[in-house]
Amino acid sequence: MTSTTIEFRNLSKQYKDVLAVSNFSAQVQSGRVTGFLGPNGAGKSTALRCLLGLVNPTVGEALIKGGPYSALSNPIKEVGAVLDSRGFHPGLTALQNLKVMASASGIDFSRIQEVLKVVDLEGATNKRTKGFSLGMKQRLSLAIAMLGDPEILILDEPANGLDPIGIVWLREFVRKLASEGRTILVSSHQLAEMQNTVDDVLIINKGILVAQGSIDEIRQGKSLEEAFLELTLGRSA
Amino acid sequence: MKHLLQSEIRKLIYLRSNWLLLLWSGVFAALGTVAPIVVLNSERQNMGMGFSGTNTPEGINAVFANAAGGYLFALIMGILIMTNEYRHGTAVGTFLVTPKRSTVLYAKLISASIAGFVVQLFSYLMAVLSGFVALNFYEPHAPVPMELLWKVFRASALSGLVLGVVGVGLGALVKNQVAAVTGAVIWTLIVEGLIVAFVESIGKYLPAGAITGLVDVDFGENDFNFTIDNYLTPGPAILVLLAYAAVFSVLAMRTTLRRDLD
Repeated sequence: MTSTTIEFRNLSKQYKDVLAVSNFSAQVQSGRVTGFLGPNGAGKSTALRCLLGLVNPTVGEALIKGGPYSALSNPIKEVGAVLDSRGFHPGLTALQNLKVMASASGIDFSRIQEVLKVVDLEGATNKRTKGFSLGMKQRLSLAIAMLGDPEILILDEPANGLDPIGIVWLREFVRKLASEGRTILVSSHQLAEMQNTVDDVLIINKGILVAQGSIDEIRQGKSLEEAFLELTLGRSA
Repeated sequence: MKHLLQSEIRKLIYLRSNWLLLLWSGVFAALGTVAPIVVLNSERQNMGMGFSGTNTPEGINAVFANAAGGYLFALIMGILIMTNEYRHGTAVGTFLVTPKRSTVLYAKLISASIAGFVVQLFSYLMAVLSGFVALNFYEPHAPVPMELLWKVFRASALSGLVLGVVGVGLGALVKNQVAAVTGAVIWTLIVEGLIVAFVESIGKYLPAGAITGLVDVDFGENDFNFTIDNYLTPGPAILVLLAYAAVFSVLAMRTTLRRDLD
């Protein structure tokens, strides 16, 4: 029995003369991996930032567990987010960045070594992050997201810029998290990867929801890429 | 709030650039006392400009009043505390941990105030120590009264507390670190200095003018063409500085609470 963990209700976001998200309504079920797909500029990141309280919606709302992100009692212990490969200071080491985040939320520092182990960054603990590769930065972002051992994970293009080894590592990482029963909402351009990873799919194009359902419902016997192109470009395979 | 403040203090301690800034504040402040000692004594002996040397109380006042002059670095520290969040994208992580932005702002204002105080305390100590060392090369010199050192310390400490807060407000408003720091340097070292020096009726209400009033030390009108009578007395000067802190705190709050983080 699943329940709705994340909900977008008639969400719209207008930036001056650009409507980034338009009347977007969708649900994400608990304990499932949901792929959030759409072309560049479709409004995925804006919708996720509205969900996390970083961007104010023009109209509508985005809810986690029935309320806004800001209403969560201890957000980092309930929701982990990776929005881009930044989010930590390049002049600090991985350990220092994690200590800053942990101390802000009252998380015991013993958790830091655990998350560094989970993302395979134990060897770079005391290295300044400005010397990190993109893959290492993504792993550190994931480590920060995992600090509070949250049941919900929101990942915005986590595979961006990763090499094939990094992509394989990320796939296994997401699968492991999913097997632990966490709710995962992940946006990505890696359609082949998503096809093998997600349970449900949301497809957004030009700020508008164009499809929502289980991966099988969306694919209808085709590949996810073919279904995606049909839905976003109206192109038949 | 306690956790958030601890996190902000960690950021301050971990960043090497903050320690470098502290070091520079000390060098700048030390030059502020050593340079006039050299100049005053050289002028007196060699150029006959008529300034009082360090063998007079006015000369000593002119030298040690500069020990409060490192406040620019307290302002920059406050700017960095805020703009680092935008420059390096850490604002996203900060606001994800603490979505109530006003709480983040309060923590930043408090940590910037503490940082500003530390900067001014360090630069004051460096300036005073360097001044005493330099005076030894120009004996005999007039005594350095404790009252003078206390007045300058009071101005240093209060200006540090306030300008750290002003820096956070400025950083929240401008966001672009280079623009905010450059603007603060140009304003403090050039524009404000000129206004305070030449339009005292306005200058006394600017931060530098209020700090001068708070120092409350006269150099002697005949010797340096400067009289403290043209500035606010310490009480109103403190109120003016606190007003700046309040205005910039409100600015920081209003801009940060409303801003989208893209």
